[in-house]
Amino acid sequence: MTRAPYVSRRGLFKAAGASAALLGAASACAYVNPPGPRALPKKKIVPKVDGDLVYFNWADYVHPKVLKGFKAEYGVDIIQSNFDSMEGMAAKLAAGNRYDVIFPSAQWVQKLDAANQLYPIDHSVLDNAAAIFDYYDYFADPWYDPKSAHSIPFTMYKTGVAWRKDKLGDQLTGSWNDLWNDTANGHTFLLDDRDEVLGMGALLLGLDLNTADGDDLDQIVDKIDSLRPYLRAFSSDDFNNLLSGDAWLTQAWSGDLAAVIWEADDPSLYAFESPSEGSPVNTDTYAIPSNAQHPGTALLFIDYMLRPENVEKNINYIGYPMPVHGTEAVYDELMAPFPACKVTVDDLGEDLYFTNHGVDDTRARDDAYTRIKVG
Amino acid sequence: MSVTTARPEPAVASAAAGTSRRRRRRRGSGMDRKPRFAVAVTALFFVLLYLPIAAVVVFSFNTKKSLTVFDGWSLQWYRAFFNDRELTHSLGTSLEVAAVAMVGSVVIGAALAFGLVRARSRLGAAANAIMLIPLITPEIVTGVASLMLFKGVYLEPGLATLMIAETTFSISYVTVILRARVAELNPEIEEAAMDLGASRMQAVRLVTLPLMWPAMLSSAILIFTIVFDDFVLAFFTTGVSPQPLSVRIYSAIRFGVQPSINAVGTLMLVASILLIVLALVLPRLLGRHGSGLDLFKS
Amino acid sequence: MSSAKKSDRLWTWLLLPGTLWMSVFFVSALALVVALSFGRTDELGNPRFSNTLENIRGILEWTYLRVIIRSLVYSVSATAICLLISYPVAYVIARHGGRYRNALVALIVIPFFANYLVRMYGWQTLLSDDGVVMKRLRDLGVSSDFHILDTAGAVIGGLVYGYIVFMVLPVYASLQRMDGSLIEAGRDLYGSPLRTFLTVTVPATRAGAYAGIVLVFLPAMGDFISAQLLGGPDNLMIGNLIQDKFFAGQNWPLGAALTMTLMLLLLVCMFAYLRQTARDSREAAR
Repeated sequence: MTRAPYVSRRGLFKAAGASAALLGAASACAYVNPPGPRALPKKKIVPKVDGDLVYFNWADYVHPKVLKGFKAEYGVDIIQSNFDSMEGMAAKLAAGNRYDVIFPSAQWVQKLDAANQLYPIDHSVLDNAAAIFDYYDYFADPWYDPKSAHSIPFTMYKTGVAWRKDKLGDQLTGSWNDLWNDTANGHTFLLDDRDEVLGMGALLLGLDLNTADGDDLDQIVDKIDSLRPYLRAFSSDDFNNLLSGDAWLTQAWSGDLAAVIWEADDPSLYAFESPSEGSPVNTDTYAIPSNAQHPGTALLFIDYMLRPENVEKNINYIGYPMPVHGTEAVYDELMAPFPACKVTVDDLGEDLYFTNHGVDDTRARDDAYTRIKVG
Repeated sequence: MSVTTARPEPAVASAAAGTSRRRRRRRGSGMDRKPRFAVAVTALFFVLLYLPIAAVVVFSFNTKKSLTVFDGWSLQWYRAFFNDRELTHSLGTSLEVAAVAMVGSVVIGAALAFGLVRARSRLGAAANAIMLIPLITPEIVTGVASLMLFKGVYLEPGLATLMIAETTFSISYVTVILRARVAELNPEIEEAAMDLGASRMQAVRLVTLPLMWPAMLSSAILIFTIVFDDFVLAFFTTGVSPQPLSVRIYSAIRFGVQPSINAVGTLMLVASILLIVLALVLPRLLGRHGSGLDLFKS
Repeated sequence: MSSAKKSDRLWTWLLLPGTLWMSVFFVSALALVVALSFGRTDELGNPRFSNTLENIRGILEWTYLRVIIRSLVYSVSATAICLLISYPVAYVIARHGGRYRNALVALIVIPFFANYLVRMYGWQTLLSDDGVVMKRLRDLGVSSDFHILDTAGAVIGGLVYGYIVFMVLPVYASLQRMDGSLIEAGRDLYGSPLRTFLTVTVPATRAGAYAGIVLVFLPAMGDFISAQLLGGPDNLMIGNLIQDKFFAGQNWPLGAALTMTLMLLLLVCMFAYLRQTARDSREAAR
């Protein structure tokens, strides 16, 4: 009589252990071999429909009608995801998610490009690109993307101080020190953004906007710690914080203020200023990740978004200027009652941009920001 | 437990208890007397338990966009939800993931339950430990670990990763619940069936399964509800496009709430409540003694 | 082969899929977290294996230690409050619920299967400065500087709300199983319901209390929703820091180290706790 082989408990144990080890070893792969910059896909992309658009952007950053119009005209769907920060966006990209169009800020274009994670965009295939690059020299060869080879500018904005006139008065002193306000105790907010908060501290102390020096950072942390007793929260949702009445005083992005002013029942309650120590500026851009599955549709989308009528709709919706020739008048008209919120290309020339850092410097800044947030 | 004799001091005792002297005198009927303080606490407890639910439900019918001022009754946010392709797609995703996790975890969990109770092997102890750890691990740890694992093997976060993660965590729950049930079963009945000529398969089908399946059904519904509502694990392991409803709700709460979230929340509440009532009531309806609540009595 | 051995083989086989699944998707994942605690990030912020102690050293700094201690304080407070609330509630239902007992327990259980986020969000709406509760309080004369949200109390309250069912159910189960005549005897001996409760009921139901303590304390330590929705910048818990490092902050090795620290902390607490309860039951058995 043959003895049927049976699985011994030891065998089972070994099997389980082995598979766990195998998976452990396999998972080591992604974390061990530092891949060099990913090779860019060879084929050139042309604007044509090659599938639905996987769109990844800040929430509420494009007029819904504009998106609807794109869907209708090209017969594709737009699958939307939102991120809450640039780091969050990069995290999703690094985790392997595949998007077709993303909206990185200037320094992130530089970072992603260095890792070959962006498709080159040939301006000549976009009908409407000329409206930008023929008129705005700044973007023809910006610091973050030589020749704008991998990105198209989307919006420009600057950071300043926003407040409730009915609570704190019509005018403040025009300095970042305005954030330290006794009346606004418990109703003060800072943006939940490392660069913005550290930058604000740096500007106030007369330091370099992007400093990563240990002593500088310590000074900045101490300075912002002195604001903590007044602080209600760190929140990048300046729009809702102001509208809901939670915020009487907040670090804010210029375009969000414009949006507040239109949404509010009483716009005269709100004001904005660009502090004299300096207003950090930034540019958001369109870019196509190199692992996009439908880059053709993405190009079509960008071209569509650059059409003057769509640019104007978006400007009216989000209150940020877009460097597209012919739309300046719309922006000027919009901003006429609130000149302080206005952002022009000249502001960009001030060069108060957030730049990238090496690993150790980033770590130092991250550490400083954690210290600020934890208190 | 030691019992010491003590002469109860009337004034002190009744003062401490907050009851009247008259009541204290009724010996042996202490069981009938309702402890006022405890009842008050219980009533307050129930009110506070349901208060936020009531708030969400009520404001889901608000005519105005405000979340603090109730203006009037309207179904607009429900209409907005059903018209929103993204949200309904998310609802479908949540249902899909919950269904897959339910089936997977009940099958694997049932097998584990039998193995743990009946196998006399050393593997049993190891399996027991491995199975229990997720139960005491905070979800954030499971979420982080899963995220790192998937990223490590270049597995793109998406529907598959979400389903795997949810199933993993559900297996523990199911196993714990079913193990209790399996332990109650008498294996001799199966042996008897086999002695009477049934094959093992027939014994399982005709004897074991009918005894097990109310518990399996209850735990299936339980897991479905848990996974449907799960947030933390989903947050860490979800991908681009099929985002479960709970993650969408979170994004909406964090970045500017649209009041249709209240409608979504209410719908989820109603769905969960229906499911859990089903889980509790089903065993009784199917003629088994005891209710699904037995599941909670460990 | 005997039928007993055949059965044993079958049952051992049945253990295989579950054990395999858990080893692959759970155990190895945890091992990875530990391994990456010693890692670093590259230029783009991607995590890489390494053998640096930087992350561990980073966590031992006061900033992080403070958050860890705060999380412990919040979780212990929440657990204690859960105990204080669960006993009266479970007691009333178990001993005075009558035929409504099962319905009452169901009423407790049902909300906990509803979405946790939605319920917390409901509290956020109710307790916000312009919400119903604050408006009433201000009508009653409370100063407008007072706010419920963004305080430690709100976060602890949120934790209690989120996990109390895990305390009520085990305590209720214990109370139900307890012999009612013990309470009667206690009443006869002590007279005062409070003393009876403390010297008779609590020790008799301590198994349920122990289970509840574990089931509340452990997940509370890892919670980040309560602090995020109901708390302010001074109320951050470990979970918030971990979440930050994996998303906005983009420092996976540091996040892994934090996660590992949390796991170790909980393991230590569990061991100490188990030893205490084991000692306890040994004494009780005597």
